[in-house]
Amino acid sequence: MSDYSVIGKRVRRVDGTEKVTGNAEYTFDLVLPNMLYGKILRSPHPHAKIINIDTTPAEKMIGVKAVVTGKDTFGRKNGVWRRFSELCDEEMICRTKVRYVGDGVAAVAAIDEDTAEEACQLIKVEYEELPATFDPLEAIKEDAPQIHEGVELNINVTRHIEWGDVDEAFKHCDHIREDQFKTSSQHHVCMETHNAVASFDYNGKLTVWTSTQASYYMQRLLADMLDLRESDIRVIKPHTGGGFGSKFELDSAQFCASLLSMKLCRPVKIVFTRAEEFTATKRRTPMYYFVKLGAKKDGTFLAKEVRVLTEGGAYTGMGATALYLTGFFSSFPYKYPNYRYDGYRVYTNTAPTSACRGFGAPQSTFVGESQIDMLADDLGIDPIEIRRKNGMTPDYEVPGQAHILSCELHQCLDKTEEQIKQRGKLPPNHGIGIACYGFMSGGIFNWFDTPYAFSSAIVRINIDGKVDLFTGACEIGQGSDTTLSMICAEELGVRLEDIRIYSGDTGICPPDLGAWGSRETLMNGNAVRMAAADAKRQLMAVAAGKLGANIVYDLDMKDRWFHLVNRPERGFSYYDIVKQAIRGNDGEAIIGRGHYTPHRKGMISPAYSFGVQAVEVEVDPETGRYKLLNVSTAHGSGKVINPVGIEGQLEGAIMMAGGYGLCEDQPMDKGKILNPSFDDYKLIRSLDMPETKILKIESYEPEGPFGAKEAGEGLTNPTAGAIGNAIYKAVGVRINDLPITPEKVFRALREKEKQGK
Amino acid sequence: MIRDFEYFAPKTLEEALSLLDKYRETCKVISGGQSLLKLMRAGLITPQYLIDIKGMSELDYIKSEGKNGLKIGALTTHRAIEESPMIQNGFSTLVEMERILAFIQIRNWGTIGGNLCHADPAQDPAPVLMALNAKLRASSLKGERTIAIEDFFTDYLKTALEPNELLTEIQVPAVPPHTGTAYTKFNIIENDLAIVGVAVSITLSSGTDVCQDVRIALGASAPTPMRAKGAEGVLRGKKVTDDLLTEAGEKASAEAEPLSDINASAEYRRQLVKILVKRMGKEALTRAKQA
Amino acid sequence: MKKELRLTVNGEAHELYVKPKSLLMDVLRDQLGLIGAKRSCDTNTCGACTVILNGMAVHSCSILALQANGGEVLTVEGLAKKTELHPLQKAFLDYGSVQCGFCTPGMLMSAKALLDKNPTPTKEQIKEAIDGNLCRCTGYNSIVRAITAVVNGEYKEEK
Repeated sequence: MSDYSVIGKRVRRVDGTEKVTGNAEYTFDLVLPNMLYGKILRSPHPHAKIINIDTTPAEKMIGVKAVVTGKDTFGRKNGVWRRFSELCDEEMICRTKVRYVGDGVAAVAAIDEDTAEEACQLIKVEYEELPATFDPLEAIKEDAPQIHEGVELNINVTRHIEWGDVDEAFKHCDHIREDQFKTSSQHHVCMETHNAVASFDYNGKLTVWTSTQASYYMQRLLADMLDLRESDIRVIKPHTGGGFGSKFELDSAQFCASLLSMKLCRPVKIVFTRAEEFTATKRRTPMYYFVKLGAKKDGTFLAKEVRVLTEGGAYTGMGATALYLTGFFSSFPYKYPNYRYDGYRVYTNTAPTSACRGFGAPQSTFVGESQIDMLADDLGIDPIEIRRKNGMTPDYEVPGQAHILSCELHQCLDKTEEQIKQRGKLPPNHGIGIACYGFMSGGIFNWFDTPYAFSSAIVRINIDGKVDLFTGACEIGQGSDTTLSMICAEELGVRLEDIRIYSGDTGICPPDLGAWGSRETLMNGNAVRMAAADAKRQLMAVAAGKLGANIVYDLDMKDRWFHLVNRPERGFSYYDIVKQAIRGNDGEAIIGRGHYTPHRKGMISPAYSFGVQAVEVEVDPETGRYKLLNVSTAHGSGKVINPVGIEGQLEGAIMMAGGYGLCEDQPMDKGKILNPSFDDYKLIRSLDMPETKILKIESYEPEGPFGAKEAGEGLTNPTAGAIGNAIYKAVGVRINDLPITPEKVFRALREKEKQGK
Repeated sequence: MIRDFEYFAPKTLEEALSLLDKYRETCKVISGGQSLLKLMRAGLITPQYLIDIKGMSELDYIKSEGKNGLKIGALTTHRAIEESPMIQNGFSTLVEMERILAFIQIRNWGTIGGNLCHADPAQDPAPVLMALNAKLRASSLKGERTIAIEDFFTDYLKTALEPNELLTEIQVPAVPPHTGTAYTKFNIIENDLAIVGVAVSITLSSGTDVCQDVRIALGASAPTPMRAKGAEGVLRGKKVTDDLLTEAGEKASAEAEPLSDINASAEYRRQLVKILVKRMGKEALTRAKQA
Repeated sequence: MKKELRLTVNGEAHELYVKPKSLLMDVLRDQLGLIGAKRSCDTNTCGACTVILNGMAVHSCSILALQANGGEVLTVEGLAKKTELHPLQKAFLDYGSVQCGFCTPGMLMSAKALLDKNPTPTKEQIKEAIDGNLCRCTGYNSIVRAITAVVNGEYKEEK
């Protein structure tokens, strides 16, 4: 492609200066006049009927202004899969039954947080405890307690994906492996906890400021739950301290703050404590995997059969999507002629499981990449070779599921192999493991049932040439404000500093489905590009007139200069064209509109990223402790729009995905999470962070703006699998359940010694 | 939430001791407060009175008294110990221990006295001070008394201090010649609280490999920091060999009373004690030979 | 009963009345409007509240305001000189060391405290200085690179 003026350049993020000066205001910082503070009372039981709630002691407390319980709600149930009412199953303030430790039963608004907290403790709730079930393998049994009425065997959602004939194909395999795996819980651990400031006014209009990934989703879901008209709700997203999949559903923070505000016509602010964040927000779905993989003796994959039971927790949330995606990405990134997946999402009396960066793919990649290494080992084939043999290629059709356009897997394998060779001979107890992955760039599904385009954007060019960009896309730290501004500037032909972006405010921005499923760059990027092109076309018309060129397509604008493509010195300043265009348009600013909804793009996504990661570990064979030394990642994300942004995503993902492999988990005792603090929930810090290397891959995705596709979640997929493979290479033991703790490695090593292998 | 309390900031030790004497069980002493405020925020401790001694500079000192050893005021911060040339020169294990204690922010503000009085068996200073045979000075209006460090911890999060007593000084005896001390802890995240902590101090008879004296202290292996006296008995008076260190490790492992929790099983902790006692024994031996 | 608190913050002297249970962070945020320091945990482990007190990086959520009485505090709002960003702030922007930004003020203060004391730290010392600051977005390495750039003199501070 010809060289670009804006995209591909290393730039400072557009919202950076506020953040480094402390001026950035987050919902956490927001204070409104006459504002109250709210706290939520939560169930201490995993499963119980609510017999009675006595709120009078709380109501009588000085400083308490309102107390709400289930009877004050509108009796609706919340769910993101709005097309399927049976999957909208969460009340957030329960009316008759609680289903997990942390389920909300009441909320209080008071003059300060301490008063609200004290008031909560005074509310008397009479429960009748019910038998509870915590593990999907148990919950699915005949005699298990039923968690939701009418849901037999607690089976919440099932999913089936199939092509070819696996049973027949297994008969022709030279080698078959059957393995079981278990993946763990993980929490998003956004630095800014869930929160909301809700303000309901005397005209019946609600404004909610909240830390969110999807202000439009918030708006629609609040309308459903509060019996308000969607457009009478305005959701504003201030600076947001992280999302990672935890903040695009309606949660108890926004709901309770809104409900309380509606009772008082005063703003109410709710901020979750870290303990509440760990226990009463959704988390990554733990899964049981049963996988059968068959191949020819030369390593060619013939068939893969996958059965998955997921721990759904008490409510559906986006868990249905995780079930689907884990099944789809279990076939990634390889060509399986025959494939079958059956997934079961099972309700349990634990905190609900939902979307978490990677959305089912970190689970499937850990499983898949571990098993492939095991198969390679059985057959005596090099792990890179076996992946080369079976890896997807560009323009590949996943039967009935997806058309893969761009695919950089082979370049990534080549670069990774080269990198590993350069490392040379490893010291004892060191090992390098690799893992391949692919991920979607936004989903094509619409079970949210929106009538709107999936992404839209509006560009407004003002008389002084400054451009306002309005988009519903949500900046949560991942850099979408910057990337979208860059796309807008490039398409229009102006500079990055000419763009001012307004994002995530439903009052002024057109809808966008939000920052999840790695969709913003591709989907909103396409919408922004279309809007910028629309505005540019209007300017082009004026420029063409002035230049007298034959057809408009001889013209272009770059770096604020309209010119003839063949004679770039002949042209006009952007500023002059803008003035004339506006004068010629009845004095109206130039407006460009854009939108994007994927049509006929398969069952999953319009485009997929691909990559390969290599992790080097050093194991202490006596204790089982291991260090992550080096991680190299080759990630194909099409045309790189924002290189600083992509590097940030890549390195940041390693922290999260490395933690998923090494140390993050949420052990429970009868449904109660035992480590709801950073003391006990272990996270990788700067001294633990490995050295990271990014292997640059050039490619082009036809579906994406300027050829770009995702770089937010795919990178979270491979690390756990690569760690597992690296440990095997280092000391010869394999752990099939996450996280791979030193104790598990220790036990495996001692077991191996006993068996005298 | 932290509940309201009445607050005192005594300027002298005398003042502080009078307040302690007056309020006893109804008050809590705060120095750095980093452990205390956590408990108060969780509602686990709700003192009516808080006596803030952090500003009492008379307890913030490090003195080296030659053959009378090291005297550290209870309000000396971890960071001050970490950066003290005096301590580095003669008691370097204390510096090594502080360097891996939590984070710099914690070390800047937290005090050695506050740490010891919190009495969490997983904390770093206690095993090292045990290996160094430290004594602690407790003061009250009635006077002072010295408590051997292994008698200081009575139960999980409990010390031998009376309600009207304040820990005022940590006394570390001069290190005998041919002595080596080493400390390490096992964790999954760097500098995290110990899953198991081990400190070993070995004194050799001059010019030999024979262990004249030894102290082995374990952290996070029992309700309190503990001395593994059985393991010490394996080494004392004998030539320290690899096999003997293995035996000492096994003995320590058997003596320990670790719990199972979300970070590790009791069985794994026992295995770690075995491995780390041997490793630290080896290191202490090497250092003793160089001393 | 409220007590008197004297505090110099970012060079300005303040006289305040605070409840004994007020934390230094709450006083900075709620009474002085300095919202840079954030709360991200309940257990004194995340570092998002880091400020510099009497030259030392500390967790402001874990210090009673009264314990800082008479002291000098530097917060992220005090780094820039009027309109000129501090070299660390410029480096963080250039090296992509900021994403969601919630941990950023605390990170900057840990970095500043390090460089004030030791202008030529090793890479290991830089990592150690920010080990008490959790970040979920960046993976820390870009932050280390930014601080290293300042150490290497890439940003000459304007006098």
